[in-house]
Amino acid sequence: MSEVNPYYLGAFVTYLVVVLGIGVWAYRRTRSVLDFWVYGQSMGPGLATWSLVANFVSSVSVIGFIGVVYTEGYALMGHTILGLMLGLAALYFVVGYVRPLNVLTFPDLMARVTGIQASRPLAGTILLVSGWLYLVMQLAGASLLVTAITGVPYQQMVWVIAGVFIVYTVLGGLVSVAWTDLLQGVLMVTAVAVALGFMIVDQGGLTSINESLTALDPSRVSPTAGGAYTLLGISASFLAFFGTILTEQDMLIRIAATRDVRTAKIHVAAAGVILSVLYTLLVLLGGATTVALVGAGIELPVEGGRLIADAAFPALITQYVPTGVGVVIILAVMSAILSTTDTRLHAVGMTVARDLYSWLRPDATERRLMRVSRASTIVLGLTAAAVAVDPPGTIYDLYAFRAVIITSAFFIPVYAAVFWTAIDGRAVFGAVAGGGVMGLIAHAAGGALGAVPSTFVGVGTATLLLLAFHAAFRRIGGTPADPR
Amino acid sequence: MTAFGLPGPMFWVFVATIVAGSLGALHFLIVHVALGRPVVETLPPALAREGQGAPGTGSAEGGGPE
Repeated sequence: MSEVNPYYLGAFVTYLVVVLGIGVWAYRRTRSVLDFWVYGQSMGPGLATWSLVANFVSSVSVIGFIGVVYTEGYALMGHTILGLMLGLAALYFVVGYVRPLNVLTFPDLMARVTGIQASRPLAGTILLVSGWLYLVMQLAGASLLVTAITGVPYQQMVWVIAGVFIVYTVLGGLVSVAWTDLLQGVLMVTAVAVALGFMIVDQGGLTSINESLTALDPSRVSPTAGGAYTLLGISASFLAFFGTILTEQDMLIRIAATRDVRTAKIHVAAAGVILSVLYTLLVLLGGATTVALVGAGIELPVEGGRLIADAAFPALITQYVPTGVGVVIILAVMSAILSTTDTRLHAVGMTVARDLYSWLRPDATERRLMRVSRASTIVLGLTAAAVAVDPPGTIYDLYAFRAVIITSAFFIPVYAAVFWTAIDGRAVFGAVAGGGVMGLIAHAAGGALGAVPSTFVGVGTATLLLLAFHAAFRRIGGTPADPR
Repeated sequence: MTAFGLPGPMFWVFVATIVAGSLGALHFLIVHVALGRPVVETLPPALAREGQGAPGTGSAEGGGPE
């Protein structure tokens, strides 16, 4: 992996120059903090759709999911991707109730439905940790891939990628992010289709790929991975990923950026169609990758007795496909990874400025908020890069961890409050805190408490606390606006 | 039964995923395009809360730490 491939390196450098150029252009269009945060709330359906698509497909989707398919086959389609797609469908049906509230972030939403301003730092802190973890994953995934394909050492690549993305996100905020997303989304979908097309022809057809995968091990084409997953486990994973779609900070930010409810609905609906097809293609590409690597006798590295499954896709690019096809795939993968990186970077910076700083300093000027946004984007981006140099766990592990936490904390309490206006805000506040803590404890205890998966522990705790606190506070009296 | 070399249950999971992702689009096309019902830009009265309006750049509803 130490040899530098000039074509791949050239494609990577060109890509970075283009997105930096968009960043400079976006800087001139960013005149207010609302432009920086939410595109001045004027995003149209086309830009919003492709921005959502590009943000949604990340290093987890490409590097992580193909790695998971390599080790356990297509079961991922049921326990994770189906949950994500149903989450998008659910988001479509609730967006008509969220967008009219005219909130900018998820903590804003929680504060609005609870009437408790302290919801903002509580939710903001949880989402900041979640978003920052996601950023670490993105940087690790991006650097792993680009290192594999260009030969530039991983430790250096983390800093190069982080540096470029910090610069253009700081320059133009969501204006930069959205327009680079448009470019990245179109590139990504086109290139994934081309890559799968190549692999289908190379492997003698889709049926042949699936039959070869079955011949390797029939569990690879089983929804339960041949019994490795129980129905309870699949349901818990499903719920965790379903919930993240409704509770991710960047999803709420993008909804706030659309110009009206109609645009918000169109962008979620259209992105759902594109993403469900794209994920199907990606998972099949994972199957084709597995069959190709095994058939060619290409082995993945093992570190500390653990197979590095995340190396499957980079191995396909560097050791299997011809350079021309490799360049196309690299454009797709870089688009997928880097579009999510900039969105998360923007979201964590906005979380600090909007949900934490402006709560502490409600009279802060617009100029001050812009400076805090930019400064926090730089600091959080650099710290994420520092951790990504030696990431704790595989990409998918981190992905699942943060999904459990935010779904446990927010999913039931906040959306119950959107539709149940009589609920006591203090009950929502307590349920979010209790659900998040219990989800964290259960996940830290090995992913379950007894036989109950961590997501069910967290979501169950939040639901029970919501009802119990609501009943208790109704007896005590007082109002959510006066929690003391 | 197999389809594209996949056993039936696995094949149907793929189909279910595409259908799930398309539910929003199907609803939009049927309800808002084919039936012509307009998209409602406001909350139903039963779900409306005080404090709606254009978001400021300060705290969500003008309040700071309690």
